Amino acid sequence: MSVIQELSRGRKSVSARRKGDGRWALLFLAPWFVGLALITAGPMGASLYLSFTDYDLLSAPQWVGLENYTRMFEDPRFVNSLGVTFTYVFVSVPLQLAAALGLALLLDKGMRGLALYRSVYYLPSLLGGSVAIAILWRQIFGADGLVNQVLALFGVQGQGWVSHPDYALGTLMALNVWTFGAPMVIFLAGLRQIPQMYYEAASIDGASRWRQFRSITVPLLTPIIFFNLVLQLIEAFQSFTRAFVVSGGNGGPSDSTLLYTLYLYLKGFGSLEMGYASAMAWFLLLIIGGMTVVNFLASKYWVFYDD
Amino acid sequence: MSTTGKGLSTRRGKRLAGSAAGIAAVALTLAACGGGDSGIGGGGDEPPAAAEECPCEIRFSWWGSDSRHESTQQIIDAFEAENPDITVVPDFTDWDGYWDKLATSVAAGDTPDVITQEERYISDYSTKNVLADLGALDIDTSKVDDGVLAGGQIEGTQYGIPTGINAYAFVADPELFADAGVDVPDDTTWTWEDYVTAANAVSEGAGDGVWGAQDYGFNEAGLNVMARQRGETLFTAEGELGVSEETIADFFQVSLDLMNGGGQPDAARTVEYQAAGPEGGLLGTNQGAMGAWWTNQLGALSDSSGHELELLRLPGESEGERTGMYYKPAMFYSVSADTEYPESSAKFVDFLLNSEEAAKIMLTDRGLPANIDVREAILDDLSPTDQKVADFMADIEDEIVDNPPVPPHGSAELTDIMERINTEVLFERITPQEAATQLIEEINAAIAG
Repeated sequence: MSVIQELSRGRKSVSARRKGDGRWALLFLAPWFVGLALITAGPMGASLYLSFTDYDLLSAPQWVGLENYTRMFEDPRFVNSLGVTFTYVFVSVPLQLAAALGLALLLDKGMRGLALYRSVYYLPSLLGGSVAIAILWRQIFGADGLVNQVLALFGVQGQGWVSHPDYALGTLMALNVWTFGAPMVIFLAGLRQIPQMYYEAASIDGASRWRQFRSITVPLLTPIIFFNLVLQLIEAFQSFTRAFVVSGGNGGPSDSTLLYTLYLYLKGFGSLEMGYASAMAWFLLLIIGGMTVVNFLASKYWVFYDD
Repeated sequence: MSTTGKGLSTRRGKRLAGSAAGIAAVALTLAACGGGDSGIGGGGDEPPAAAEECPCEIRFSWWGSDSRHESTQQIIDAFEAENPDITVVPDFTDWDGYWDKLATSVAAGDTPDVITQEERYISDYSTKNVLADLGALDIDTSKVDDGVLAGGQIEGTQYGIPTGINAYAFVADPELFADAGVDVPDDTTWTWEDYVTAANAVSEGAGDGVWGAQDYGFNEAGLNVMARQRGETLFTAEGELGVSEETIADFFQVSLDLMNGGGQPDAARTVEYQAAGPEGGLLGTNQGAMGAWWTNQLGALSDSSGHELELLRLPGESEGERTGMYYKPAMFYSVSADTEYPESSAKFVDFLLNSEEAAKIMLTDRGLPANIDVREAILDDLSPTDQKVADFMADIEDEIVDNPPVPPHGSAELTDIMERINTEVLFERITPQEAATQLIEEINAAIAG
């Protein structure tokens, strides 16, 4: 009630009203602030401290300075997990965005039952992070799984994909590409915002479909592409569940699916090296932060804002 | 809409990164308080003068499957009926979650009073002063074989009491041997070479889709047996690596020979069968004639294969300078070092260990009971498969020279290390010789930490 009164009182005293607004804002923000402090900021601070210690959960942390950070680069499994993660991110994210854009373009044609298709293609994004899908994936790409049964129809004798170190990461990347629904929906919204008159003008000038796509759609869509790219990169760097379930929890076979966060988890909760794991968490933050900064800097050269 | 979705999952990700810290933050504060506590309590090592004030409540943690949870609850009910002032609170999860949960509850100063332990973890917990000296508590261990009891001692202190015993053995499927026209080898005399020959012969005789053996290289127990046959040991009593590079290389060479001779499936399949557990492995799915398993897994293997499976000694028992097989404590009962109710906890452990009533409910679920009288008492109640296990264990008893010491702090990582290196060998990315060097290096790094 009082909020409404406050608002409807008119512009009696601008500064007084502002003060009032501020108080209300704080009140409404309070639950969020409490959550931020207790659930996010507090633990993050603690983890920053722990990253400079040797801590095994069972006894008190011992200060070791930068040792955890220098140790990372002498740890061959860590270096390997970086390689695995970068491969995963830089192969699967572009493919995922390409798939998302491709389907968005198809769906944008305004076919009948669009809402249905949109939901169907969005579904994997909702399910893709789940344990159930990861287990299913294991089955599909197993030695006697669906993929090999299909290959057998063509007379090809398939591999046990998830259990072969050369292919296991590929199955994870395929899973990531398959969850293209979220960026697709954003692309669809972006496509809707491109004024139809540009296309009309272009077709009057005799521009081909391909030309229209290159010269109208892509430039006007670059802010959306950029947005999706940033989000998907960040998300891909943090992939955990899929690798955990598909590899049976250890990043195998022979560390070929040892994504960064999985190794972090194994070190923290498997070997109880919480200090080292915290240092890895902070280093990941640096990587993702650095990547995002580079992304924003580079965006000046290719992202086109229409206003 | 979808933007919100993304934002959420990103935040979730960050939280994941910080989650270790979250627990840690709480742990820090609590550890600070707890430290003072145990300082005072630690001085009072002598048992409290007055008997504990009961009614009291103790918490018992264990891992396992649903059937174990049910039977354990029945045991708890039986204990509570006998000791009406003690309430036992069950605290159970599956194996994977168990150690995460235990570590975090210990860090939070909320250690369960009675803790189920395992040999790869017990050193870690005992060196961190989490576990009480059971020798100082009133638990009757007179009916447990000394050699078995020693399995729960670290530097002379009894930190855990074995719940029961298992042995690492070969399981054979005589039906598949017969189909392939191959005789089941005589396990009292067979050598490692005989094993390779037999497995290759079965693969050849049985035709497509049936192999002689499932790869054994993922489990360090086989390596330990081979080492012991040569007078070595995986870990010495001093907690150091005691196996030679040559033995490790030979161990991996056997599985490579099997793979190349057709006796076991290709590497990718092997990795898959390994991940599928006893039920999904070669024996469980009637696709393989032999496999190396713990004796307590015979039930699961037999149930899923539907065949009459047999237990065999590991190859080479009569080949080397001594026998290598041993009794492994299936698990341990331990008591928290800062439990409020040491007497009640001890009473409960004593019940688990010595009560016939408890044993008749538990049967061989925690290994063949460590208490010899109790073991006798339940023999008639055992299923035919479990009786087979009991007979096998009795057969090898006289051949066992000694049981290996508790593996050192850090050995929990051994499973992962073995799995990784064995995979590399099977995919022929490294030679058995290189695998040996790498294994020694990695294990030494793990136990040094």
